[in-house]
Amino acid sequence: MDAPEWACLLDVLDLIKDKHDGTLAYRKSCRMMICGSCGMRMDGRAVLACKERMKPIVDAGHVPVISAMGNMPVLKDLVVDMSPFWGKIRSVKPWLDPGYDEVAEKERIVSQQQMNVIHKEALCIMCGCCVSECNSMEADPDFMGPAALAKGFRFVGDARDQADVERLNTLNEEHGIWDCTRCYFCNERCPKGVDPRDAIAKLGAESVKQGVDHDMGAKHAKWFIRSTETTGWLRETELVPKTQGIIEAIKQTGFALKLARKGKVPPPFPPHVAADVKEARALRELVGEQGRDGALGIVQGEHALGRIEFTEEAGARENAPEIQPGVEPPPAEG
Amino acid sequence: MQRVAYYTGCLAALSAKELNTSTKALAPKLGLELVELESVTCCGAGDIHEAEPDYYLHLNARILAYAEETGCETLMTICNVCTLNLRQANWQLKNDEELRARVNQNLETVGVPPYSGNVDVRHLLWLIAEGDGYERLKEAAHKGLKGLRIAPFYGCQILRPSKILGFEDPDRPWSLEAIIQACGGEPIDYPAKIKCCGFPIIQAREEVALSELIQPIEQAQEAGADAMVTPCPLCHLSLDAWQLKLRKATGKDFQMPILHLSQLIGVAAGLEESELKFKRHVVSVDPVTSKLEV
Repeated sequence: MDAPEWACLLDVLDLIKDKHDGTLAYRKSCRMMICGSCGMRMDGRAVLACKERMKPIVDAGHVPVISAMGNMPVLKDLVVDMSPFWGKIRSVKPWLDPGYDEVAEKERIVSQQQMNVIHKEALCIMCGCCVSECNSMEADPDFMGPAALAKGFRFVGDARDQADVERLNTLNEEHGIWDCTRCYFCNERCPKGVDPRDAIAKLGAESVKQGVDHDMGAKHAKWFIRSTETTGWLRETELVPKTQGIIEAIKQTGFALKLARKGKVPPPFPPHVAADVKEARALRELVGEQGRDGALGIVQGEHALGRIEFTEEAGARENAPEIQPGVEPPPAEG
Repeated sequence: MQRVAYYTGCLAALSAKELNTSTKALAPKLGLELVELESVTCCGAGDIHEAEPDYYLHLNARILAYAEETGCETLMTICNVCTLNLRQANWQLKNDEELRARVNQNLETVGVPPYSGNVDVRHLLWLIAEGDGYERLKEAAHKGLKGLRIAPFYGCQILRPSKILGFEDPDRPWSLEAIIQACGGEPIDYPAKIKCCGFPIIQAREEVALSELIQPIEQAQEAGADAMVTPCPLCHLSLDAWQLKLRKATGKDFQMPILHLSQLIGVAAGLEESELKFKRHVVSVDPVTSKLEV
C-alpha cells in the first residue's frame, strides 16, 4: 500500500483502516507520544506506533510484523486489556501524601534540583511498552512490573511526599522490587527514556538506606557489600545462608552436595582475597559520609544533582551536594 | 599480540574456575596477552548498584583506575554482569567531569590512582566477533566442531541496555552465531536466546527464576541443539546447575550440556581437558565430547 514518506506506523494503520479493512482495532489519541495509547509490537518489539517512522523500514525492503503487546490479554487485533496494568499502578497509590490535611499558609516551593531526582520517572506516559516484554512478569503475572514500580519511585523520590517508609514497605512485598530479574527489557523498550529498571534500583537503594531490608533480595544485595569489604570478591558459598537464612540453607543441602561434587561450592577457607582490599573498605566508609546515599547515588550519575530530603526533620545534611542553579535536567529520549 | 587488562570477576575465580583456565589457555591463540589485575574487587554484580549505588560507582572506578594503570586501552571481561556494571560506571565517569573529579578525589584519599577515563570495557565476545579478532579466531579453531548444533544463549546484560552496551542490535544479535560458524558448528535459532536465565533472583525468588530458566533450555532442546553456549558465567551456573532443579520441578528429563564461550572455542582450538575442565559441569558434556571424539 502507498503511504507518504513521513508516515509513521500509526499513519499506516489509519490508511489500512480507511482503505482496506474498517474492522482493524487499535488504540490511538494524541499522535505525538504524549497520551501513551498506541503501544503495540513491531517485529516483536513493543513500540509507540506514532513514534516509528516507516520509510527506513520500507527502504530496507523489510515487511514488518505488527502484533499486540505482550504480558496483557488481547481483546481484539492490537488492543490489549490493560486492566491488570492499571490495577498495579493503583496499588502504588500514585498520588502525593504530603503528611498533612490542611494546606499550609505559605506555599511550599520545590526546587528544580529536587524535581530532577524524579525527572525521568515523571516522564512516564503509562503506555505499557516496558511491561510488554518484562521477563519477570511473563514468569509471574502478579509481579508489579516496571511501570508501577517506576511510578512508585516517582512518589518515594518526591520531596513533598511523606509516606516513604510506608510506600517502601509495600514495594518490598512479594511480587515487588526484589522480583525484578534485571533483564533490562524495560529500559530498552521505554519510548520516553524513563529507564524503569534504574527506578527499581533506586527503590532498592532507598529501601536499604531506610532500613526496609528484610526481604531476601535486600539481604542478597547486602552480602555483596559485606563481601567486597572483607575479601574483595564475593563470598559465594556463604551467599545462600546469608540470603535465605540457615534453615532454608539446610533444606538446600542435597542440592549443595550435588554441586559440591563438581567443585561448584568453593570452600570459604582460606578465602580468596583481593590485594589492597582495605582500600575498598575505606572507600565505603568515605562515601558513606558524603550524603549521596540511597537513590541519590544513581541520580547523581544521571546528571541530576538534587536531594531527596527537604523536610526540616530530615534536614539538609552538610555534606549534601552543592546545588547549582540552572542545572538542566537530563535530556529525555524520544 | 593485543595487550588487554583481564578482569576475571568472582565466579571465574570461584565456582566457574573452568572459565578462567580455558580463557587463559585460549587467549594467546587469539592474539590476546592478558594482563592480570591483583588489586581489583567484585563489581557488585548489580546488587551493590541496587543497595549502595555511590559505593558501587567508586568500587568500579577503582577497578577502572587499576586497569588504566596497566597502560592497556581495553579492560577485557568474561561475564555479562561485570560488563554492564563496569561499562555503566565508565559511562557515568566519562560523561560527567564533575562526578569524575569527586570520585577521583575519593580514590586518591584511600591511595588508589585517579581514573582519567581512557579505558574501554569490552567482553571477550566482542573482541573476537569481528575484525582482526575474528580472523585470528578462524585460524585458531582449526579442529572445528564437526557441524555440532549449538544454541547460542546471550543472556541479558551483554545486550541491554543497548545505550550502555551497544555492540550489536539487542533484538537481533549475531556475534555468537558468527563465532559458532567460525568454529565449524551450526548455530540454532530460537526465540529465548536473548531472554533472561533467571539468575539474579534465583536465590530470593527461585520459582519465578525457574519459570524464566525453562524457556531457553526447552526451546534449545526442541530445536535439536547438541549444546548451548553462553558468554556469561552466571547464565552458565543457572543453565547448568539449576537444570537439576528444573528437572525435579517439571519432571522433564533435561540433559542439555552448557558450554562457556571460551570452552566452545577451546574445543575447536584443541585445548586439553585440564584447561577445559568439563568435569566441573553439573550436566554432563560427554555427549558433545564423544561426538567430537576429544
